[in-house]
Amino acid sequence: MTRYLLAAAGAVALMLVAAAVIFLFTPTDALQGPVQRIFYLHVSSAIAAFASFLVVAVGGAIYLWRESMVADRLARSAALTGVVLTTVTLVMGMMWAKPIWGAFWTWDARLTSTLVLWIIYAGYLLVRRLATPGRQAARFAAVVGIFGFVDVPIVYFSVTWWRTQHPGPVIATDALPPEMLVAFLFTMACTLVLAGVMIAVRYRIEALQDAQPQGHFVLQPAGRPTA
Amino acid sequence: MRHVTVALAVARKDLVSEWRSRELVPALAQFLVLALVIANFGFSINSDNAPAIAPGVLWLALVFAALVGFGRAFAAEKEQATLEAMILTSAPPAAIFAGKAIAATLLLVLCEAVLLPALTLFFGTPLTLVLAAAVLLATVGMAALGCLFAAMVAQLRAREVLLPLLTLPLWIPFIVAGGQAVQVMMGAEGTFDQALRLLIAFDILFVVLTSLAARFVLDE
Repeated sequence: MTRYLLAAAGAVALMLVAAAVIFLFTPTDALQGPVQRIFYLHVSSAIAAFASFLVVAVGGAIYLWRESMVADRLARSAALTGVVLTTVTLVMGMMWAKPIWGAFWTWDARLTSTLVLWIIYAGYLLVRRLATPGRQAARFAAVVGIFGFVDVPIVYFSVTWWRTQHPGPVIATDALPPEMLVAFLFTMACTLVLAGVMIAVRYRIEALQDAQPQGHFVLQPAGRPTA
Repeated sequence: MRHVTVALAVARKDLVSEWRSRELVPALAQFLVLALVIANFGFSINSDNAPAIAPGVLWLALVFAALVGFGRAFAAEKEQATLEAMILTSAPPAAIFAGKAIAATLLLVLCEAVLLPALTLFFGTPLTLVLAAAVLLATVGMAALGCLFAAMVAQLRAREVLLPLLTLPLWIPFIVAGGQAVQVMMGAEGTFDQALRLLIAFDILFVVLTSLAARFVLDE
């Protein structure tokens, strides 16, 4: 138990250091002003979310292949973490878009495909909840996770040929000044650690739940005598 | 070879059963015409705005009719416990799935044979070969995905709610490419051949993927 507490505390501490770096160390953007500081966490959480969904798809594939419970629990935990991180990405993106683009949302390729990603994996979590726990839930969810992962690049590319407003990659094209690049890489590393810790903690919860005896809980409505 | 025989037998069974009861296609066709009527009241259609609105109405109506059609294909089997019976036979699950998907596709094509002329009649938009091709190509891939998830949700609780939730996001590639082709046919800028090629590519990809996945969904 203490291991998980320590890991969680460490991840939170790392994120606080990242926040300090973002607000104290990096220069203010000349064009956009302080709003640009959203960039660091916005892109980091997007990358961490993609990594989580990769874990979901690979875990699902391994489960279908080997019926490995470890792979299934890993996929389950990563799906929840990925949905949370995608929510962070979307919300921070909207907060950034409003002052810069003048609207919270545009039907841009990147925005649309991220929203689709969120919807697909929210559906994944629902399948987990509605299927009979065990083999059925694991199999069905694995299928959803894999199809979702195939679908997202397609949505991304099929829309990207027609309209874009979201800026393209800045890391690979070397468009960032060095201080910003260092701060970004540091934030990204911290966010990936946070995602890893979240998946690990969730994995532990899922493992404990799996160890519980199976059964359906029916809540007795108040005031009604038991038969 | 045996796969093909089983698939055709399952498809034939579904088509015969629909021909005898004649429940699904008339109801869906009526729904599609009703959707056009609703669109008229929602948008106040006239000859100026019809070409801009018609593609959206076409895909919205088609997508929701398809959801009902595919959901029905498996829900009916599940209610009568015939899905389990079919799985218990030695027939390969992928072939059963293919047969159900073929029948569901053909039934939806019948509904489209009502929707497309009705759209031309009520909205005054052109009905061309390319438009029909785009809709048919999209139907194939949408049927493959729709039937896979219909087979899945038929075995779950809250199936009516979950089917659109799982299927609609995965259909978006077909709506993007098909929507592009239909918009061009109705007067928007651009070309449709790229969109049609994309539709064919998506069809191949998802027919192969769903055939591979059918084993895991129909094996409970």
